[in-house]
Amino acid sequence: MDFFVPFRICGSGLTAQRAKMDVITANLANVDTTRTPEGGPYMRKVVSFSSKPVGRVFDMKLRKALNMVSVGDVEESKEGVRRVADPGHPDADASGFVSLPNVNVVSEMAGMIMASRAYEACVTAFDATKSMALKTLEIGR
Amino acid sequence: MNDIIIGGNPALTPVEPGKAEKEGSGTQTPFGTVLKKTIKDINDLQIKADQAIAKVEVDNSASIHEAMIALEKADISFKAMMQVRNKIIEAYQEIMRMQV
Repeated sequence: MDFFVPFRICGSGLTAQRAKMDVITANLANVDTTRTPEGGPYMRKVVSFSSKPVGRVFDMKLRKALNMVSVGDVEESKEGVRRVADPGHPDADASGFVSLPNVNVVSEMAGMIMASRAYEACVTAFDATKSMALKTLEIGR
Repeated sequence: MNDIIIGGNPALTPVEPGKAEKEGSGTQTPFGTVLKKTIKDINDLQIKADQAIAKVEVDNSASIHEAMIALEKADISFKAMMQVRNKIIEAYQEIMRMQV
């Protein structure tokens, strides 16, 4: 059915924002992690999205224009680690400095707000599409 | 109801194209076939919604928004089918009321 195309797009948007939220949560949870399996402090993860065509839609023009979103790669941020003087820390080096993750709590919070607002927007678009579909069924009643 | 014929829409061609060729034009489908196929599609959507809920509740292997979207798809297609049913019943009752 035609009305299922926006649902699929909404679904991909919800999945993408969920993934972003998961990555942000992991970054916030690891804000003080100094030990990782790869060695060294935790590195902030950044998720990137890519678009992919929706496929079967009812209009040829829309078929070329519409894109869904899909979760691309989750990569490590290239920012440098924080160096904090804390000689008492078990992971401090010879000069008394500890390498802490390059997670900035404030920017993670901003990203979190953006992800949750985008998620809400997708849900609102879904609801609007659904009410359009149900309104269509009232034709001729 | 096989004598009501829907024609023209290539998307509504029957499941077995060979049968339609035997009947002649190839683009005409008996109304009963269309109705059966639509009901089957809607039933499939209901089953998919059930499976999506089961995946969330039992396996924990799907996300809730996918289950909700499957539910909404099933809901809307079912409501669309109910409208078709209402129209059919209305037409049937109209015929039954005919004076002979």
